[in-house]
Amino acid sequence: MKCTRSRSWRGTALALLAGLALVANASALEDGAKAPDFKLPSLDGGKSLSLASFRGKVVYLDFWASWCPPCLTSLPLLEDLRKQFPNDQFQILAVNVDQDVAKARKFLERTGVGYPSATDPKGRLPEMFGVETMPTSFLIDRTGVIRYVHHGFRKGDVGPLRERIAQLVAARPK
Amino acid sequence: MSHPARRGRRKARARSARRRAQRKRKPSALAALTSGALALPGLAGSAAAEGLIDQISSEYNFSRYSEGSIPASKVAPGSERGRYDIDMHQVHLAAPLGERFALGLDVVHESMSGATPWYVIPGDDGDPVQVMTGATVEDKRTDLLLEGKYYMDRSLASLSGGVSFEKDYFAINGGLGGQLDFNDKNTTLSSGVGVSIDSIDPTDSAEFPLRPDHEKKQSYSAYAGISQVLRRNVAIQSTLTYSLGNGFLSDPYKEALVLGEPVADSRPDLRNQIAWLSRYRHHFSSLNATFHTDYQFYWDDWNITAHTLEVAWYQSLFESFRLIPSFRYYSQGQADFYANYYDQARSDGYYSSDYRLSPFGAISWRLRAEAHFRTWEIDWVGSFSWQRYLSSGSYALGKVSAPNPGLVSFDLYSVGLTTRF
Amino acid sequence: MRALVASLSLAALCLSGTGCAAVKPWERDVLARPDMAWEPDTLEAKRDAHVHYSKEASLPGGGAGGGGCGCN
Repeated sequence: MKCTRSRSWRGTALALLAGLALVANASALEDGAKAPDFKLPSLDGGKSLSLASFRGKVVYLDFWASWCPPCLTSLPLLEDLRKQFPNDQFQILAVNVDQDVAKARKFLERTGVGYPSATDPKGRLPEMFGVETMPTSFLIDRTGVIRYVHHGFRKGDVGPLRERIAQLVAARPK
Repeated sequence: MSHPARRGRRKARARSARRRAQRKRKPSALAALTSGALALPGLAGSAAAEGLIDQISSEYNFSRYSEGSIPASKVAPGSERGRYDIDMHQVHLAAPLGERFALGLDVVHESMSGATPWYVIPGDDGDPVQVMTGATVEDKRTDLLLEGKYYMDRSLASLSGGVSFEKDYFAINGGLGGQLDFNDKNTTLSSGVGVSIDSIDPTDSAEFPLRPDHEKKQSYSAYAGISQVLRRNVAIQSTLTYSLGNGFLSDPYKEALVLGEPVADSRPDLRNQIAWLSRYRHHFSSLNATFHTDYQFYWDDWNITAHTLEVAWYQSLFESFRLIPSFRYYSQGQADFYANYYDQARSDGYYSSDYRLSPFGAISWRLRAEAHFRTWEIDWVGSFSWQRYLSSGSYALGKVSAPNPGLVSFDLYSVGLTTRF
Repeated sequence: MRALVASLSLAALCLSGTGCAAVKPWERDVLARPDMAWEPDTLEAKRDAHVHYSKEASLPGGGAGGGGCGCN
């Protein structure tokens, strides 16, 4: 009785640690990783969009969905952000993950943004990028390297984002 | 069965009890006998509020609760047959405050009137009949609850506080709760504690010698629950709640007939209660509908065991409408000290003829309709619902030989409007 | 006590992903629906709890969160 008590507590502790390791979230692509290229159809039916086509610009890759309230809050705020930088320096590229594409289109129509939105109803791109929550966005520098991952969205996020984008825009490649 | 002389004496006492009952009785103001709003944050606030809200929302609801008249065969001669009516106004306001904080306010105001069960006596043919209080003048109750929620990336903390008051009743309550997400938010653990402190000052206690003057009661609760997303369209949840009631737990406006004499409703001053609620949600994309089912097991140390089963079908129609039929079945056993009336004194001194501690079953069905629309940049939801509730000894799971004659039936009509901007 | 802790950790392990197919953060469109909430209309849920609690012996159960859109 005395000997077994400490042994089974150790066993329980190990089980708990193993459990914690398993419940730790899947790893997202992190700062310093190269953003994988992709080609997806456009939400509005126009020509397909690829990340590589924007090489040379600072890119803000934003994953959003019509069923995600903070995503919808971010749409007009991102549009404002887009207008603060020259078109040839900075690009916002949105990726919509709605299964029901019509809902996504309806929201875009209502809000009216000037940046393109790709459609990925099968969710292959968020899987590739390791998206951990909705919305998630990746700030990618001119050489295609991820420099910052932003999880979630709150109104006050725009200020710090603008700072980071400005820094990357100012850093010109040699 | 019993000595004829004794039967005669009992009959005489019952007759005098009925005559006493026929005299006009004053209002039974404490209709609900709830411990204020049970101060559990999960109950108090919106249970499923996930990410931080970024819109201000307001919701108003008006409901009319109307009990069916007690059948003539179940009521003592001369007693009121019309029962209770309640008009209820509910308001809920919620707004974000800063980046990670949200505040919610709930106000409930009720106006109540009507007659309520007082005590039970043997009827002329031997079946128990209910003696009712006189019909009341309107009485009011107001409830206020404030709740704050703090949102972190994978967790949530909430704090609530509230007050409840009526002419004869005052309660203050508080609660604390938290939630933790695991496994990419597929699993959520929730837990919380709450306390409610009540004081009861029954009206006209000087006029009614059996009625207590001033009493106090405290309730302490704790809950722990787990939610699990099973599939893209299926989620389950299970929550265990424990509550401890301490102090004056009887109904000050009720009595029980003991050996032919009325005695104040006297319940133990301690009560341990457990409720285990499990929920299942399943969405059918092809039908554009969602199925809900909830089951609760209840037990307390007054020996009451109860089962609740609810099913609901949320049918979406034409983009903006939803029709929700639902059905509820409930069954409870009796408190061990409960009886319609007593032929013998109890050594523990506990007596209650309250139908709420009697064995019975209840069935209810509801139909709710909702319309969603968006104008002027605001989301609106209008709703209307009707519910009918029937209770009877014959609906219970076990056999009930002498059901309480005061078992209630009611209709509940509701209209509501929600706005989000 | 030992058995309780062990079974709880086992439950956590089981629920942590290998047994049940975890739903990804971008696959929560259905879960985000208002009719998939534990209490789609809070006022109605409170009203029900109040009415039933005052007519019956049982406690209103509720309390837990989880499900939903899982957004930040």
